[in-house]
Amino acid sequence: MPATNRRGMTGTGPGTAMRRAADLGRRTEYLAFSLAGEAYAVQIAHIAEILKPLPITWVPRAPRNVVGVMSVRGRLVTVIDLRRRLSLRESPMDRRTRILLADLGAEGASSGGPHQPHQSEQIGLLVDEVMQVYRLAENEIEPPTVLGGDQPAHIRGIGRPEGALLILLDLRPLLAS
Amino acid sequence: MTDGGGRGDSPADKAREDFFSEAQELVDGMSRDLVLLDERSRQGKSDPELVNDVFRAVHTLKGLAGLFGAARMSAVSHELEDVLDDLRLGKIDLTTRVLDLLFQSVDLYGRLLAAERGHGPEPAPEVEALLMALGSMMGQQGGQGASPATQYDLDPSILGVLTEYEEHRLRTNIQSGLFLFRIRVQFALATIDSALEELKTKARPHGEIITYLPTGSAGDAESIELDILLASAATLDVLRQAIEGPNVAIEEIRRRTALLDPGNAPSLPAPAHHSLPPPMSLSPPTAGESPATVHPSALASDRPAPVTSPSYAPGGLDLSLRSVSQTVRVDIRKLDHLMNIVGELAIVRGAILRLTDRVRANPDRVDRAFGMRDLGLELHRLHRTFDRHLTQMQNGILEVRMVPLGQVFEKLARVVRQISREHDKHVNLVITGAETEIDKLIVEELSDPLMHMIRNAIDHGIETREVRMAVGKPPVGTIALNAFQKGNHVVLAVEDDGAGMRPELILSTAVRRGLVSAEEAKELSLREVYNLVFLPGFTTKELATDLSGRGVGMDVVKTNIAKLGGIVDITSEVGIGTKMTITLPITLAIISVLGVEVAGHSFAVPLASVEEAIALDESLVRSFEGREAMTQRGATLPICRLARLFGLSEQGPGEPDQASPSMHAGPSPIAEARARRRPQKPCVVIASVGERRLGFVVDRLIGQEDIVIKALGPSLKGVRGLAGATELGDQRVGLVLDVAALMEEVLASDKERLLAHEGRA
Repeated sequence: MPATNRRGMTGTGPGTAMRRAADLGRRTEYLAFSLAGEAYAVQIAHIAEILKPLPITWVPRAPRNVVGVMSVRGRLVTVIDLRRRLSLRESPMDRRTRILLADLGAEGASSGGPHQPHQSEQIGLLVDEVMQVYRLAENEIEPPTVLGGDQPAHIRGIGRPEGALLILLDLRPLLAS
Repeated sequence: MTDGGGRGDSPADKAREDFFSEAQELVDGMSRDLVLLDERSRQGKSDPELVNDVFRAVHTLKGLAGLFGAARMSAVSHELEDVLDDLRLGKIDLTTRVLDLLFQSVDLYGRLLAAERGHGPEPAPEVEALLMALGSMMGQQGGQGASPATQYDLDPSILGVLTEYEEHRLRTNIQSGLFLFRIRVQFALATIDSALEELKTKARPHGEIITYLPTGSAGDAESIELDILLASAATLDVLRQAIEGPNVAIEEIRRRTALLDPGNAPSLPAPAHHSLPPPMSLSPPTAGESPATVHPSALASDRPAPVTSPSYAPGGLDLSLRSVSQTVRVDIRKLDHLMNIVGELAIVRGAILRLTDRVRANPDRVDRAFGMRDLGLELHRLHRTFDRHLTQMQNGILEVRMVPLGQVFEKLARVVRQISREHDKHVNLVITGAETEIDKLIVEELSDPLMHMIRNAIDHGIETREVRMAVGKPPVGTIALNAFQKGNHVVLAVEDDGAGMRPELILSTAVRRGLVSAEEAKELSLREVYNLVFLPGFTTKELATDLSGRGVGMDVVKTNIAKLGGIVDITSEVGIGTKMTITLPITLAIISVLGVEVAGHSFAVPLASVEEAIALDESLVRSFEGREAMTQRGATLPICRLARLFGLSEQGPGEPDQASPSMHAGPSPIAEARARRRPQKPCVVIASVGERRLGFVVDRLIGQEDIVIKALGPSLKGVRGLAGATELGDQRVGLVLDVAALMEEVLASDKERLLAHEGRA
């Protein structure tokens, strides 16, 4: 069973969660994972699935960030090494390595031409370890400017749930280049 | 290609799909009938039944369009129906002008359908121009006094719904010399009342609002778009200043009378030449076929077109022949055949089930009457039967995807008629091999490149009648469209008997446009010189015409054909003509491949382009200027080391240059072990596409396999040299080489190679 149920990782029952959401206003769910020892997170709405590594085929001449392609139930998926994309230290795959299947939705993928009518492309994101799901309220998110003036567009902000520190990534600009 | 996962299977979607395929078929049929009608009328015959067929098709289209809310299509059909009805009842004659309009409407239908599908903008101005022209056709014949409003470029759909009072106001305003303006404005539904009042207040000092009508094409559910007809003495600028807002667009509705002035009229096909070459004939031109046969009635009524919107350029560059229908019509016998195979497979399943039951009944002891040996034999037999039926099934399904090339050729016949008319050149299109079958997907992608090639042949190839006569050629030019199957490929040739291509002219143009340097130009072979015309931005025409000469077109041809895994070649002889040959694979779906291993990575080479594979004898390899070649059976064969091309280390298996940290992306452990066990025995896989040959040096051959090829995702679309990927048995993905592209790259001139590298970086 390669897929891990993301709902199972919230730790709180739906009842509690809903009560808390009602108490604290609008919350967004973020999936946290680690890259080179640091905690990052992306909106869980963009993650279709969490996979244990499947065999990946190296693609010659592919962009540097691309690890290769793999087949997820017959569908061809390009895998990107997020560490390489963010210029972080790389380490070999181990048993905690996971691939997040990101689906940015139809409008996110730039279509190739008139004959590829807005078909969304799923992209695999290689991460060191998947941690947990955080439900962040707006007041728990700091703007990226706290890190200093000019931050790249793919940094959405800093999440500060219960003392932790998450770098929140925006997948669209991150995967656009 | 299917429309992807986006489209659901809801009944509404299904019905829409049916609408598209039915509408497309009707339009195709109409086009066929018109070509025939055109041919008949030039022979001086009339064919009421054909006119009736066209009328019926239009009538059905009108109904369909109404059902699916395609307003413009419905409007065009309505007007066409009236013209065709008059034609049918003999109220108007079938003149060249009428035929032109009918052909135009076929094009317009195609574009309207594409627009409905979301494959392009709605050709609104063209529709209005055609409606106007159709309307005038009837008005002219009927001799009705034109209302002053018809002198304006007004949307007939607006005119049609004016109340008597509004029409009266319109007429009065026009007669008092005011200008007409159309204000297109979007309102939020919530605030429309107040916003409209506000706009009226702003407009009132400047003129009179005659009417306002919803356009029915609001951007979203929360807003509504209105067309407001305003009569005013002010200029457009004054009005813009007074009313312009975020969602307001104002334009002047121009008086069409100006266009009646011949000096200003758009260059319409000269009506002096009623005699058109037969657009499609299956035999070479006969000597007796004089192009001067004219239908007598055509002379009398064939006046220059009175009105046409300047924006309407029939046969303009944006014209696409691509059909919007993704449906394949299938001969029921082919389906019966498939059904039979399914039946056979069910029998195999039954046999497997019986065998399984038998083994499970005696799991522990060996049945005396039925031992392991029998089990093995039985399984082997079943496997063989299964395999055979699966292959039949595969072939059967491939066959269902195949459609005759004639489908595209019919459309091209229409294009030739139109283009040759616009260009006042007489061209005879000779088609052979229309029955050649090719994958539906390829046919669709092929229509536009072929159109560009034919357009090019007429514009640049075929000389004018006078020039032809002067050099002793038949006055009517010939374009031969020939298709035939050659192994697993289909070859398409477009050949004209025109002026041919002058290498020195191509070269000087390419140098002048900076596509090659003068030094490079000296070293190009003749083939390389001809291939320069495929570079973007290349044109030898100083003046761009509607048809070609803008430097787009031929590069599109090359790109589209390359996308299909095909290759284009040109041969030409000055004064004799030019021949362009497209070589394409028959199908894209299931292909046989040869598995090869390069530095520990496996790749698949489509077998269709593999001639043979031989052991590499390094002593036969010669290298010059960075390129390598070997002698094979007395001929020179350029070779390319795949490992080097892909940036892999050449000495045995190893990590790629950009060392990958993942344990999976490197060479497979099995491959590594294998490679250690025995020494490398490099092979040369000799590939050929069209006339070109190239040897790929690989470490090892793995074997042959049938695979289903899948496209790499958009994120890898910049990667050249890979046709796609396929899933191998062990969950791994195998990459399929794009032989044509690699060949192109390796054999291309250094300049192109440089560009390719820059493009990748």
